Amino acid sequence: MDCSQLKSNIFAYSEGALSEEQCQSFESHLSSCIVCKQLMTELNHIEAIIEMEKSVEPSPFAATRILQRLENEFEATKKSYFPGLVRVLQPVAIAGALLCGILIGSYTAKKDNTQANQVVNPYENIEFLRTNLFISDFADEDTMLGLNK
Amino acid sequence: MTDQELIEGILHRDRNAFQCLVNQYQKQVIKAAYHFVGNLEDAEDLSQEIFLDVIRSLPSFNKSSSLSTWIYRITVNKSLNMVKKKQRRGIMVRIESLFRPPVEHGSTHTTEPSVLPADLEHQEKQSLLHAAINRLPENQRIAFVLCKFEDHTYKQIAEIMKIGLPAVESLIHRAKVNLQQHLVHHFSEYQKT
Ligand SMILES: [Zn+2]
Repeated sequence: MDCSQLKSNIFAYSEGALSEEQCQSFESHLSSCIVCKQLMTELNHIEAIIEMEKSVEPSPFAATRILQRLENEFEATKKSYFPGLVRVLQPVAIAGALLCGILIGSYTAKKDNTQANQVVNPYENIEFLRTNLFISDFADEDTMLGLNK
Repeated sequence: MTDQELIEGILHRDRNAFQCLVNQYQKQVIKAAYHFVGNLEDAEDLSQEIFLDVIRSLPSFNKSSSLSTWIYRITVNKSLNMVKKKQRRGIMVRIESLFRPPVEHGSTHTTEPSVLPADLEHQEKQSLLHAAINRLPENQRIAFVLCKFEDHTYKQIAEIMKIGLPAVESLIHRAKVNLQQHLVHHFSEYQKT
């Protein structure tokens, strides 16, 4: 078998379709010819590539992306399950929470402020009680507290 | 979930059925698409279109085959269309490049990522293989990919392609001969240089 005969018999050889005699002739040429040996190595590499491609694994996010696309295209029942809806509602919820936070924050700040004022000005409060409740018996306390100095 | 329950669920737009369909068939769809288009990213993008098609055309699914076989058919058709589109785009790019002024090589060369020779060789052979597969007549290509890459039996291929067993055998045989001839020719030319 020469180089061109080997080339035309590669397919039959790889499929096991050669006779025993042809097979021996094929292999004996292969063992003595560097060019044909190289050619067979290249073809075997192609086989290896096919095997590698067979074991490819999709990205772990592929399924989620497909499902999301289906959600966008089709209206499905049990909508609340859909992250599509969550995506729309999420900013609204966040905005609401922020607004609540601001309101509560400003309310408590105000409250703290008035409490602080009450602590800082005890005399004003006593004056208020005295004038509004018409109580004049604060005199003793006044002298005690040193208000009437 | 059985095929029947799955179909009923999807027709009623039940979310669980959608999820079941995707979980059950995404690997099959993406892998098959990848073996036709030769690029995983493209295959994953395409898988979204394939599932949309599956759901859209489910009302016309006549149950003469299994759901899996039917999904395979849609996958093969969509994948072949993408390959055709890419080939057309490839021709356009080649035509456009004829009219483009030549690029100065010194500046672009330094920004190219360094690729190990072994990787480059592997990538080259991978694209050589897919180029050779894409040169096969469409029927040979489908039969060959389903047989060699997807490990389908001739009977399954016959069902997917809606042809007889002898036709499948003949298609696969011719595909293998053509591919090997193409590859042997390519490597022999390569050895000469
Ligand atoms: Zn030789």
